[in-house]
Amino acid sequence: MTWETSDSEGAKPTETARGDRPGDAAGGGDLILRGEDVTKEYQTGTQTVRALKGIDFGIAPSDFVAIVGPSGSGKSTLLNLLGLLDVPTDGAVSLRGQDVSTFSDADRTRKRKRAIGFVFQSFYLIPTLTALENVEMPRMLDKTPVKTRERAKTLLRRVGLGDRLDHYPDELSGGQKQRVAIARSLINDPALLLADEPTGNLDRDTGDEILALFDELRAEEDVAIVTVTHDAYVAEEADRVVNLVDGVIEDAGETAADGGHGA
Amino acid sequence: MSWLRRVTARFPTVVLARRNLSRASARTTLAVVAIVIGVVAIGTIGAGGEAFKQDQMEAYEGFGGTATVSPVYYQNDDGDIVGGISDKDVSRMRQVTSGATVHPVIQRWDTVVRTSSGETSPSAQVKGLAALGTFYEAQSGSIPDSWRQQVVVGSRFADNNDVETGDQLTVTINGSFERTFRVAAVLEPQGFADQLQADRSVFLPFDRLSQLEDSESEYGSVIVRVDPQTASIDEAAESLETEFNTRRRTIAVSEVQEQRERFGQTFEMINQFLIGVGSISLLVAAVTIANTMLMTAIEREREIGVMRAVGYPKRAVVSLLLAEATILGLVGAAIGVPLALGIGMGLNQFLVGDPLAFTAAGLRYVGLGALFGVLTSLFAGVYPAWKSANKRPVEALE
Ligand SMILES: Nc1ncnc2c1ncn2[C@@H]1O[C@H](COP(=O)(O)OP(=O)(O)OP(=O)(O)O)[C@@H](O)[C@H]1O
Ligand SMILES: [Mg+2]
Repeated sequence: MTWETSDSEGAKPTETARGDRPGDAAGGGDLILRGEDVTKEYQTGTQTVRALKGIDFGIAPSDFVAIVGPSGSGKSTLLNLLGLLDVPTDGAVSLRGQDVSTFSDADRTRKRKRAIGFVFQSFYLIPTLTALENVEMPRMLDKTPVKTRERAKTLLRRVGLGDRLDHYPDELSGGQKQRVAIARSLINDPALLLADEPTGNLDRDTGDEILALFDELRAEEDVAIVTVTHDAYVAEEADRVVNLVDGVIEDAGETAADGGHGA
Repeated sequence: MSWLRRVTARFPTVVLARRNLSRASARTTLAVVAIVIGVVAIGTIGAGGEAFKQDQMEAYEGFGGTATVSPVYYQNDDGDIVGGISDKDVSRMRQVTSGATVHPVIQRWDTVVRTSSGETSPSAQVKGLAALGTFYEAQSGSIPDSWRQQVVVGSRFADNNDVETGDQLTVTINGSFERTFRVAAVLEPQGFADQLQADRSVFLPFDRLSQLEDSESEYGSVIVRVDPQTASIDEAAESLETEFNTRRRTIAVSEVQEQRERFGQTFEMINQFLIGVGSISLLVAAVTIANTMLMTAIEREREIGVMRAVGYPKRAVVSLLLAEATILGLVGAAIGVPLALGIGMGLNQFLVGDPLAFTAAGLRYVGLGALFGVLTSLFAGVYPAWKSANKRPVEALE
């Protein structure tokens, strides 16, 4: 029932990335995020829905984890907990060793900003802002407009949109929007990138481009990526596949042939 | 451009707010219109009312240090109505108020005034008052000092009957006296607060009226005036009261200054009431703004959820939505103020005859309207902003 940060042999950049972290070794002190016996219940009226039924997880730098499973199995719920958007009903989630439940809402907001990038299935770009401004958005309130703009331009070039800086979202294709969303998720140099079906709306070619981008990010910036997906080819690329069924992890495997479990 | 960018980059919230407003331009426009209406209502009513009051107050100006005396009628033991001010009474008044000038006013009700074109004016009030020129100013012609063949008319009478200086007027009194006079002057408009309702009056030479055969030596009222520099109208009024009202109340003495204050207070109340009514339109505007902001907040729930997810604190979301609401108020005020001033100029022209007759108090109401407009918008934005900021990002994203 557990999904541990197995010292995966397969993952290429992982080895190099780990080397320069202090206190690595077995204890998992270098984990970005760790969950123990995490349970999440939703209260709807008199009914209690147990969306997650006690799962364990750990995410290390430059991990690539795919979460698959049938609809309603708790994938988004898990992603929300990983992203500090929600707190578990039971069990503990800790960010770099700090128990998330001790954080106030403002604390979690701050940690999110510093450590976590989000890519949503429906992009959720702000229609009144250009591609460049959308990427800048998470840092718009910081008093570093020049630095932010440089970084945003670099990121957009990196995702292949250097020539679309001033386009508004409705002037971009689905794949381009998703790439803007990814650039936005990276503006704060997160340690962890959370994606909910990032390729769900894209054709295979565009999906592959996104995956290539993920690989690059892990290799060059040590970013850990956790993605919910229904696409088999995405799961195949992952170091580990977490198969959620009805709030429980069925089996955790290395990049496995059963990656297509979801759907 | 780079300069503008550097400035706006300092206020990213304002930039975001402005962009968001331009997105739903129809809704934004309607919300602004609501605020404009409120600002204009308060500003116009306030400024116009103050100008009107000021203008009416001016009617009292020729009456500084003045009291009006009117007769008190009563029923005697035989059941007859008696009372009135006679020549003898006027002489007594002159005696007891040494130093004051006493001007009896004759008013005849049994009169017909005909213009040279033959039209009669039923609403004209025929009066006689010596020293007319010390109370009123002429807007055309000049008020003669002593006169026998001329009349002086009020502005409203002149307007209504197309009478100008130099025209002929025929006055018939009691069916017997009939005479044609030349109009020597038309008086400045005095407004309704005027003591003698001069606007509707035709002033005949005082001596003519007092020498009429059937004259009962009875006066409609008496104007007592002192030089406020050297004497007190209070004292004069008191002397009159002692002389005439000790045994029984036979005259009513009213100091014009008091009337003026009373009028001012009454008018102030009416004006505030009207402004209160005008403020209701701002209340409606508040509802509109609140509704606009709620719709915005609901429409942008996900967007705001994303902002919260990527690290915008609640405070930032609140400021963003409040900035939007405040911009609505500011734009509404920016449009409303010139509009209120424009309409106020029209009102001034209509009421006072001078488009620039704004008073300080009146302009204060325009400012107040603008201020209330902005504050209303800000307050109307509080609930939607609070509600939207307190939505958990997860909920907002679902
Ligand atoms: N806010 C909520 N209130 C009540 N129940 C909820 C809430 N969010 C999720 N649930 C329930 O929790 C369970 C897991 O939901 P979740 O959204 O995590 O599923 P999922 O695996 O993401 O499904 P899908 O693939 O359809 O997106 C479901 O049974 C769902 O009905
Ligand atoms: Mg989901």
